[in-house]
Amino acid sequence: MTTANFHPSDDILRDFAQGNVTTGMSVALSAHIELCSSCRTRSSELESESIMEWLKLEGDSEPDFSGMIDTITALPQLTTEPQINSAPVNSDDLAVSEIHMLDRSFTLPRVLARAASNGLKWNKLAGGINQAQVQIDNETQCEFLYMTPGSQVPVHRHQGNEVTLVLDGAFEDQFGHYGPSDFLVRNKRDQHQPSTEEGCLCFAVLDSPLTFTSGLARLFNPINNYRFRRATSQRF
Amino acid sequence: MNSIEEVTSKPAVESVKTDDGPSDEELLLAVGVSQDRRAFNLLFARFSKRIFAMGMKLTRNEQLAQDLVQEALMTVWTKAPLYDLDRGTAQSWIFTLTRNRCFDMLRKKKRQPQTISADDIWPQESDAEMSVVHEEQGSQAVEVAQIERLYEHLPDAQQAVIEQIYIFDRTHEEAAAELAIPLGTLKSRLRLAVAKLRTMIGVEQ
Ligand SMILES: [Zn+2]
Repeated sequence: MTTANFHPSDDILRDFAQGNVTTGMSVALSAHIELCSSCRTRSSELESESIMEWLKLEGDSEPDFSGMIDTITALPQLTTEPQINSAPVNSDDLAVSEIHMLDRSFTLPRVLARAASNGLKWNKLAGGINQAQVQIDNETQCEFLYMTPGSQVPVHRHQGNEVTLVLDGAFEDQFGHYGPSDFLVRNKRDQHQPSTEEGCLCFAVLDSPLTFTSGLARLFNPINNYRFRRATSQRF
Repeated sequence: MNSIEEVTSKPAVESVKTDDGPSDEELLLAVGVSQDRRAFNLLFARFSKRIFAMGMKLTRNEQLAQDLVQEALMTVWTKAPLYDLDRGTAQSWIFTLTRNRCFDMLRKKKRQPQTISADDIWPQESDAEMSVVHEEQGSQAVEVAQIERLYEHLPDAQQAVIEQIYIFDRTHEEAAAELAIPLGTLKSRLRLAVAKLRTMIGVEQ
Protein backbone atom coordinates (compact mmCIF):
# COMPACT_ATOMS: atom_id res chain seq x y z
CA MET A 1 0.00 0.00 0.00
CA THR A 2 1.49 3.32 -1.05
CA THR A 3 1.19 6.25 1.33
CA ALA A 4 -0.88 9.12 0.00
CA ASN A 5 0.80 12.43 -0.82
CA PHE A 6 -2.36 14.49 -1.29
CA HIS A 7 -4.87 14.72 1.54
CA PRO A 8 -8.12 16.53 2.33
CA SER A 9 -7.64 19.82 4.20
CA ASP A 10 -8.40 20.18 7.91
CA ASP A 11 -11.45 22.27 7.00
CA ILE A 12 -12.90 19.43 4.93
CA LEU A 13 -12.04 16.82 7.55
CA ARG A 14 -13.63 18.94 10.29
CA ASP A 15 -16.83 19.40 8.26
CA PHE A 16 -16.83 15.66 7.63
CA ALA A 17 -16.47 14.87 11.34
CA GLN A 18 -19.42 17.17 12.02
CA GLY A 19 -21.59 15.57 9.34
CA ASN A 20 -21.60 18.79 7.36
CA VAL A 21 -20.77 17.60 3.83
CA THR A 22 -22.86 15.92 1.11
CA THR A 23 -23.24 12.16 1.13
CA GLY A 24 -21.17 11.88 -2.07
CA MET A 25 -18.30 13.82 -0.54
CA SER A 26 -18.64 11.84 2.70
CA VAL A 27 -18.17 8.61 0.75
CA ALA A 28 -14.98 9.89 -0.90
CA LEU A 29 -13.63 11.09 2.46
CA SER A 30 -14.55 7.90 4.28
CA ALA A 31 -12.78 5.86 1.57
CA HIS A 32 -9.65 8.01 1.75
CA ILE A 33 -9.62 7.76 5.54
CA GLU A 34 -9.83 3.98 5.30
CA LEU A 35 -6.75 4.04 3.04
CA CYS A 36 -4.77 6.78 4.79
CA SER A 37 -3.57 6.38 8.36
CA SER A 38 -2.51 10.00 8.83
CA CYS A 39 -5.97 11.28 7.86
CA ARG A 40 -7.52 8.66 10.12
CA THR A 41 -5.56 10.07 13.03
CA ARG A 42 -6.22 13.66 11.99
CA SER A 43 -9.95 13.17 11.51
CA SER A 44 -10.35 11.58 14.92
CA GLU A 45 -8.51 14.54 16.47
CA LEU A 46 -10.76 16.96 14.62
CA GLU A 47 -13.75 14.96 15.74
CA SER A 48 -12.59 15.33 19.35
CA GLU A 49 -12.17 19.07 18.82
CA SER A 50 -15.64 19.25 17.28
CA ILE A 51 -17.08 17.47 20.30
CA MET A 52 -15.43 20.01 22.62
CA GLU A 53 -16.93 22.86 20.58
CA TRP A 54 -20.30 21.17 20.58
CA LEU A 55 -20.29 20.77 24.35
CA LYS A 56 -19.87 24.53 24.73
CA LEU A 57 -23.07 25.24 22.82
CA GLU A 58 -25.63 26.60 25.20
CA GLY A 59 -28.68 28.39 23.86
CA ASP A 60 -31.56 29.66 25.93
CA SER A 61 -34.23 30.52 23.37
CA GLU A 62 -34.87 26.95 22.18
CA PRO A 63 -38.25 25.29 22.48
CA ASP A 64 -38.92 23.31 25.63
CA PHE A 65 -38.44 19.65 24.83
CA SER A 66 -39.28 18.14 28.19
CA GLY A 67 -42.66 16.89 26.90
CA MET A 68 -40.77 14.22 24.94
CA ILE A 69 -39.31 12.54 27.98
CA ASP A 70 -42.31 10.41 28.92
CA THR A 71 -42.77 9.17 25.35
CA ILE A 72 -39.12 8.22 25.15
CA THR A 73 -38.83 6.48 28.49
CA ALA A 74 -41.92 4.41 27.68
CA LEU A 75 -39.94 2.73 24.89
CA PRO A 76 -38.26 -0.64 25.38
CA GLN A 77 -34.47 -0.60 25.43
CA LEU A 78 -32.21 -2.62 23.16
CA THR A 79 -30.06 -5.37 24.56
CA THR A 80 -28.14 -6.18 21.39
CA GLU A 81 -26.66 -4.03 18.65
CA PRO A 82 -29.22 -3.56 15.86
CA GLN A 83 -28.25 -5.00 12.48
CA ILE A 84 -26.30 -2.30 10.68
CA ASN A 85 -26.49 -1.87 6.93
CA SER A 86 -30.10 -2.91 6.93
CA ALA A 87 -30.58 -0.87 3.76
CA PRO A 88 -31.78 -3.16 0.99
CA VAL A 89 -29.21 -4.32 -1.54
CA ASN A 90 -30.70 -5.54 -4.79
CA SER A 91 -28.93 -8.83 -4.91
CA ASP A 92 -25.75 -10.21 -3.45
CA ASP A 93 -24.43 -11.49 -6.72
CA LEU A 94 -24.38 -7.95 -8.09
CA ALA A 95 -22.27 -6.72 -5.19
CA VAL A 96 -18.90 -5.33 -6.24
CA SER A 97 -16.02 -5.53 -3.84
CA GLU A 98 -13.37 -5.81 -6.53
CA ILE A 99 -13.01 -3.99 -9.80
CA HIS A 100 -11.28 -5.71 -12.71
CA MET A 101 -9.99 -3.62 -15.57
CA LEU A 102 -7.78 -5.09 -18.29
CA ASP A 103 -5.14 -7.01 -16.37
CA ARG A 104 -5.67 -5.16 -13.11
CA SER A 105 -7.91 -5.98 -10.21
CA PHE A 106 -8.49 -3.80 -7.23
CA THR A 107 -10.22 -4.38 -3.89
CA LEU A 108 -12.47 -1.46 -3.01
CA PRO A 109 -12.51 0.30 0.36
CA ARG A 110 -15.54 -0.80 2.38
CA VAL A 111 -17.70 2.24 1.77
CA LEU A 112 -17.07 2.14 -1.99
CA ALA A 113 -17.92 -1.55 -2.14
CA ARG A 114 -21.17 -0.53 -0.46
CA ALA A 115 -21.69 2.31 -2.97
CA ALA A 116 -21.17 -0.16 -5.81
CA SER A 117 -23.35 -2.83 -4.26
CA ASN A 118 -26.06 -2.48 -6.90
CA GLY A 119 -23.55 -3.30 -9.63
CA LEU A 120 -21.47 -1.10 -11.94
CA LYS A 121 -22.38 -0.30 -15.52
CA TRP A 122 -19.40 1.00 -17.46
CA ASN A 123 -19.75 3.52 -20.29
CA LYS A 124 -16.98 4.45 -22.72
CA LEU A 125 -16.34 8.21 -22.96
CA ALA A 126 -14.04 10.22 -25.21
CA GLY A 127 -10.27 9.86 -24.87
CA GLY A 128 -10.02 6.32 -23.48
CA ILE A 129 -12.07 7.01 -20.36
CA ASN A 130 -14.51 4.50 -18.89
CA GLN A 131 -17.10 5.74 -16.47
CA ALA A 132 -19.50 3.96 -14.11
CA GLN A 133 -21.86 6.24 -12.25
CA VAL A 134 -23.20 5.35 -8.84
CA GLN A 135 -26.27 7.07 -7.46
CA ILE A 136 -25.39 8.16 -3.94
CA ASP A 137 -27.31 11.38 -3.38
CA ASN A 138 -29.18 14.09 -5.28
CA GLU A 139 -26.55 16.77 -4.87
CA THR A 140 -23.45 15.29 -6.43
CA GLN A 141 -22.43 13.16 -9.37
CA CYS A 142 -20.40 10.19 -8.18
CA GLU A 143 -18.56 7.88 -10.52
CA PHE A 144 -15.79 5.39 -10.88
CA LEU A 145 -13.44 6.41 -13.69
CA TYR A 146 -11.00 4.15 -15.38
CA MET A 147 -8.49 5.82 -17.71
CA THR A 148 -6.89 3.24 -20.00
CA PRO A 149 -3.07 3.35 -20.27
CA GLY A 150 -1.94 6.24 -22.44
CA SER A 151 -5.25 8.08 -22.29
CA GLN A 152 -5.85 11.79 -21.87
CA VAL A 153 -8.94 13.61 -20.66
CA PRO A 154 -9.75 16.71 -22.75
CA VAL A 155 -8.92 20.03 -21.05
CA HIS A 156 -11.80 20.93 -18.81
CA ARG A 157 -12.82 23.32 -16.12
CA HIS A 158 -15.18 22.68 -13.26
CA GLN A 159 -18.24 24.73 -12.54
CA GLY A 160 -18.02 23.61 -8.94
CA ASN A 161 -15.74 21.29 -7.02
CA GLU A 162 -14.40 17.97 -8.18
CA VAL A 163 -12.91 15.51 -5.77
CA THR A 164 -10.85 12.64 -7.09
CA LEU A 165 -9.63 9.69 -5.06
CA VAL A 166 -7.01 7.60 -6.82
CA LEU A 167 -7.66 3.92 -6.17
CA ASP A 168 -5.13 2.22 -8.42
CA GLY A 169 -2.52 3.24 -10.99
CA ALA A 170 -1.54 6.88 -11.44
CA PHE A 171 -2.31 10.00 -13.44
CA GLU A 172 -0.88 13.46 -13.79
CA ASP A 173 -1.86 16.97 -14.77
CA GLN A 174 0.08 20.24 -14.87
CA PHE A 175 -0.18 20.47 -11.05
CA GLY A 176 1.32 17.13 -10.13
CA HIS A 177 1.53 13.36 -10.29
CA TYR A 178 -0.99 11.33 -8.30
CA GLY A 179 -0.91 7.74 -7.10
CA PRO A 180 -2.98 5.35 -4.97
CA SER A 181 -4.92 6.88 -2.03
CA ASP A 182 -4.26 10.47 -3.18
CA PHE A 183 -7.20 12.77 -2.57
CA LEU A 184 -7.47 15.81 -4.87
CA VAL A 185 -9.82 18.75 -4.80
CA ARG A 186 -10.18 20.86 -7.93
CA ASN A 187 -12.32 23.96 -7.82
CA LYS A 188 -13.75 26.13 -10.53
CA ARG A 189 -10.55 28.14 -11.03
CA ASP A 190 -8.55 25.07 -11.95
CA GLN A 191 -8.44 24.14 -15.60
CA HIS A 192 -6.61 20.90 -16.08
CA GLN A 193 -5.92 18.05 -18.44
CA PRO A 194 -5.32 14.73 -16.70
CA SER A 195 -3.37 12.02 -18.51
CA THR A 196 -2.05 8.60 -17.59
CA GLU A 197 0.68 6.34 -18.88
CA GLU A 198 0.01 3.25 -16.81
CA GLY A 199 -3.78 3.58 -16.53
CA CYS A 200 -5.70 4.75 -13.50
CA LEU A 201 -8.79 3.83 -11.52
CA CYS A 202 -10.40 6.67 -9.55
CA PHE A 203 -13.53 7.51 -7.66
CA ALA A 204 -14.74 11.04 -8.42
CA VAL A 205 -17.37 13.30 -6.90
CA LEU A 206 -18.58 16.41 -8.69
CA ASP A 207 -20.91 18.95 -7.20
CA SER A 208 -21.72 20.47 -10.62
CA PRO A 209 -21.03 19.54 -14.25
CA LEU A 210 -17.68 19.74 -16.05
CA THR A 211 -17.06 22.28 -18.79
CA PHE A 212 -14.64 21.27 -21.51
CA THR A 213 -12.68 24.28 -22.70
CA SER A 214 -10.82 23.00 -25.75
CA GLY A 215 -11.69 22.20 -29.34
CA LEU A 216 -14.04 19.43 -30.27
CA ALA A 217 -14.43 18.33 -26.67
CA ARG A 218 -16.65 21.36 -26.15
CA LEU A 219 -19.27 19.41 -28.04
CA PHE A 220 -19.56 17.26 -24.94
CA ASN A 221 -20.70 20.11 -22.74
CA PRO A 222 -24.42 19.77 -23.41
CA ILE A 223 -24.07 16.04 -22.77
CA ASN A 224 -22.22 16.63 -19.51
CA ASN A 225 -24.84 19.04 -18.34
CA TYR A 226 -27.51 16.52 -19.19
CA ARG A 227 -25.59 13.73 -17.43
CA PHE A 228 -25.19 15.84 -14.36
CA ARG A 229 -28.84 16.80 -14.21
CA ARG A 230 -29.79 13.18 -14.61
CA ALA A 231 -27.33 12.01 -11.96
CA THR A 232 -28.50 14.60 -9.51
CA SER A 233 -32.19 14.68 -10.47
CA GLN A 234 -33.84 16.62 -7.70
CA ARG A 235 -36.67 14.63 -6.28
CA PHE A 236 -37.65 16.53 -3.17
CA MET B 1 0.87 11.11 37.67
CA ASN B 2 -2.68 9.93 38.13
CA SER B 3 -3.55 7.02 40.33
CA ILE B 4 -4.70 3.89 38.56
CA GLU B 5 -8.28 4.45 39.57
CA GLU B 6 -8.26 7.92 38.07
CA VAL B 7 -6.58 6.78 34.91
CA THR B 8 -9.00 3.97 34.25
CA SER B 9 -12.11 5.96 34.84
CA LYS B 10 -11.00 9.09 33.05
CA PRO B 11 -12.48 9.45 29.57
CA ALA B 12 -10.20 9.95 26.55
CA VAL B 13 -11.96 13.22 25.74
CA GLU B 14 -11.97 15.44 28.81
CA SER B 15 -15.42 16.15 30.15
CA VAL B 16 -16.69 19.68 30.28
CA LYS B 17 -18.50 19.93 33.57
CA THR B 18 -21.55 22.10 33.19
CA ASP B 19 -22.61 21.60 36.77
CA ASP B 20 -21.73 19.49 39.72
CA GLY B 21 -23.31 16.12 40.30
CA PRO B 22 -22.87 12.81 38.53
CA SER B 23 -20.77 12.65 35.36
CA ASP B 24 -22.45 12.06 32.00
CA GLU B 25 -20.95 8.56 31.99
CA GLU B 26 -22.45 7.70 35.37
CA LEU B 27 -25.86 8.90 34.20
CA LEU B 28 -25.70 7.02 30.91
CA LEU B 29 -24.64 3.81 32.66
CA ALA B 30 -27.51 4.22 35.16
CA VAL B 31 -29.97 4.62 32.28
CA GLY B 32 -28.57 1.50 30.62
CA VAL B 33 -28.27 -0.70 33.66
CA SER B 34 -31.43 0.17 35.60
CA GLN B 35 -33.63 2.27 33.29
CA ASP B 36 -33.05 5.13 35.72
CA ARG B 37 -35.48 7.87 34.66
CA ARG B 38 -34.00 10.49 36.94
CA ALA B 39 -30.63 9.94 35.29
CA PHE B 40 -32.27 10.19 31.89
CA ASN B 41 -33.97 13.47 32.88
CA LEU B 42 -30.57 14.89 33.78
CA LEU B 43 -28.98 13.70 30.54
CA PHE B 44 -31.94 15.14 28.68
CA ALA B 45 -31.45 18.51 30.36
CA ARG B 46 -27.72 18.48 29.59
CA PHE B 47 -27.96 17.43 25.95
CA SER B 48 -31.27 18.45 24.36
CA LYS B 49 -30.16 22.02 23.62
CA ARG B 50 -26.84 20.87 22.24
CA ILE B 51 -28.62 18.38 19.99
CA PHE B 52 -31.07 21.06 18.87
CA ALA B 53 -28.15 23.39 18.08
CA MET B 54 -26.44 20.69 16.03
CA GLY B 55 -29.70 20.04 14.21
CA MET B 56 -30.16 23.73 13.39
CA LYS B 57 -26.63 23.94 12.08
CA LEU B 58 -26.90 20.86 9.87
CA THR B 59 -30.51 21.18 8.67
CA ARG B 60 -31.24 24.93 9.01
CA ASN B 61 -34.79 23.85 9.73
CA GLU B 62 -36.40 24.18 13.14
CA GLN B 63 -38.84 21.32 12.67
CA LEU B 64 -36.08 18.93 11.58
CA ALA B 65 -33.91 20.09 14.46
CA GLN B 66 -36.73 19.29 16.87
CA ASP B 67 -37.22 15.89 15.23
CA LEU B 68 -33.51 15.31 15.74
CA VAL B 69 -33.80 16.03 19.46
CA GLN B 70 -36.50 13.39 19.71
CA GLU B 71 -34.73 10.83 17.49
CA ALA B 72 -31.33 11.25 19.10
CA LEU B 73 -32.54 11.13 22.69
CA MET B 74 -34.74 8.18 21.85
CA THR B 75 -31.61 6.44 20.58
CA VAL B 76 -29.77 7.42 23.77
CA TRP B 77 -32.53 5.79 25.81
CA THR B 78 -32.90 2.64 23.71
CA LYS B 79 -29.18 2.05 23.18
CA ALA B 80 -27.99 3.00 26.66
CA PRO B 81 -27.67 -0.71 27.68
CA LEU B 82 -25.08 -1.09 24.89
CA TYR B 83 -22.90 1.72 26.25
CA ASP B 84 -19.81 1.00 28.29
CA LEU B 85 -16.63 2.95 28.97
CA ASP B 86 -14.83 1.12 26.15
CA ARG B 87 -16.96 3.11 23.77
CA GLY B 88 -15.45 6.39 24.91
CA THR B 89 -16.96 9.27 26.78
CA ALA B 90 -20.71 9.71 27.03
CA GLN B 91 -20.27 13.00 25.18
CA SER B 92 -18.53 11.45 22.20
CA TRP B 93 -21.01 8.56 22.17
CA ILE B 94 -23.96 10.98 22.10
CA PHE B 95 -22.26 13.29 19.59
CA THR B 96 -21.59 10.43 17.18
CA LEU B 97 -25.06 9.02 17.52
CA THR B 98 -26.64 12.46 16.98
CA ARG B 99 -24.52 13.22 13.93
CA ASN B 100 -25.33 9.82 12.45
CA ARG B 101 -29.07 10.12 13.14
CA CYS B 102 -29.05 13.56 11.53
CA PHE B 103 -27.17 12.26 8.49
CA ASP B 104 -29.69 9.44 7.98
CA MET B 105 -32.65 11.72 8.68
CA LEU B 106 -31.51 14.20 6.03
CA ARG B 107 -30.93 11.48 3.46
CA LYS B 108 -34.46 10.27 3.98
CA LYS B 109 -35.85 13.78 3.83
CA LYS B 110 -34.02 14.43 0.55
CA ARG B 111 -35.19 11.07 -0.80
CA GLN B 112 -31.67 9.92 -1.49
CA PRO B 113 -30.96 6.32 -2.48
CA GLN B 114 -30.68 4.19 0.66
CA THR B 115 -27.51 2.37 -0.37
CA ILE B 116 -25.24 4.32 1.97
CA SER B 117 -25.99 4.95 5.63
CA ALA B 118 -24.10 6.80 8.35
CA ASP B 119 -22.75 3.46 9.61
CA ASP B 120 -20.99 2.95 6.26
CA ILE B 121 -19.50 6.44 6.33
CA TRP B 122 -18.27 6.42 9.93
CA PRO B 123 -17.45 2.80 10.78
CA GLN B 124 -17.95 1.74 14.39
CA GLU B 125 -15.31 3.11 16.70
CA SER B 126 -13.94 -0.35 17.47
CA ASP B 127 -12.71 -0.86 13.89
CA ALA B 128 -10.87 2.42 13.72
CA GLU B 129 -9.66 2.49 17.29
CA MET B 130 -6.69 0.15 17.06
CA SER B 131 -5.73 1.20 13.56
CA VAL B 132 -2.92 3.40 14.84
CA VAL B 133 -1.04 0.23 15.59
CA HIS B 134 -2.53 -2.17 13.04
CA GLU B 135 -1.34 -0.28 10.02
CA GLU B 136 -0.81 -0.97 6.36
CA GLN B 137 2.85 -1.53 5.56
CA GLY B 138 3.77 1.85 4.09
CA SER B 139 3.22 3.95 7.15
CA GLN B 140 3.74 1.21 9.71
CA ALA B 141 7.51 1.60 10.04
CA VAL B 142 7.23 5.31 10.77
CA GLU B 143 4.41 4.93 13.23
CA VAL B 144 5.92 2.03 15.14
CA ALA B 145 9.15 4.01 15.59
CA GLN B 146 7.17 7.02 16.76
CA ILE B 147 5.07 4.92 19.08
CA GLU B 148 8.11 3.30 20.65
CA ARG B 149 9.41 6.72 21.66
CA LEU B 150 6.07 8.07 22.85
CA TYR B 151 5.19 4.91 24.71
CA GLU B 152 7.75 5.88 27.36
CA HIS B 153 5.57 8.85 28.27
CA LEU B 154 2.55 6.76 29.18
CA PRO B 155 1.66 6.02 32.81
CA ASP B 156 3.11 2.68 33.97
CA ALA B 157 -0.27 0.95 34.11
CA GLN B 158 -0.93 1.82 30.47
CA GLN B 159 2.59 0.88 29.38
CA ALA B 160 2.07 -2.53 30.93
CA VAL B 161 -1.10 -3.07 28.94
CA ILE B 162 0.43 -1.92 25.65
CA GLU B 163 3.41 -4.18 26.33
CA GLN B 164 1.20 -7.23 26.90
CA ILE B 165 -0.90 -6.68 23.81
CA TYR B 166 1.49 -5.22 21.26
CA ILE B 167 4.89 -6.51 22.32
CA PHE B 168 4.07 -9.95 23.79
CA ASP B 169 1.14 -10.26 21.40
CA ARG B 170 -1.23 -11.61 24.07
CA THR B 171 -4.99 -11.69 23.72
CA HIS B 172 -7.03 -9.30 25.88
CA GLU B 173 -7.99 -12.20 28.15
CA GLU B 174 -4.42 -13.43 28.54
CA ALA B 175 -3.16 -9.91 29.26
CA ALA B 176 -5.84 -9.31 31.89
CA ALA B 177 -4.91 -12.58 33.61
CA GLU B 178 -1.19 -11.78 33.44
CA LEU B 179 -1.69 -8.33 34.97
CA ALA B 180 -4.32 -9.62 37.42
CA ILE B 181 -6.86 -6.97 36.45
CA PRO B 182 -10.46 -7.31 35.24
CA LEU B 183 -10.93 -7.54 31.48
CA GLY B 184 -12.96 -4.31 31.47
CA THR B 185 -10.16 -2.43 33.18
CA LEU B 186 -7.66 -3.79 30.69
CA LYS B 187 -9.81 -2.67 27.78
CA SER B 188 -10.32 0.82 29.25
CA ARG B 189 -6.59 1.19 29.86
CA LEU B 190 -5.76 0.01 26.38
CA ARG B 191 -8.24 2.41 24.90
CA LEU B 192 -6.88 5.33 26.89
CA ALA B 193 -3.30 4.40 26.01
CA VAL B 194 -4.09 4.22 22.31
CA ALA B 195 -6.01 7.50 22.46
CA LYS B 196 -3.11 9.13 24.27
CA LEU B 197 -0.57 7.80 21.77
CA ARG B 198 -2.74 9.02 18.98
CA THR B 199 -2.93 12.50 20.49
CA MET B 200 0.82 12.56 21.03
CA ILE B 201 1.43 11.55 17.43
CA GLY B 202 -0.92 14.32 16.37
CA VAL B 203 1.00 16.80 18.49
CA GLU B 204 4.26 15.73 16.90
CA GLN B 205 3.12 16.15 13.33
ZN1 LIG C 1 -4.84 11.37 3.87
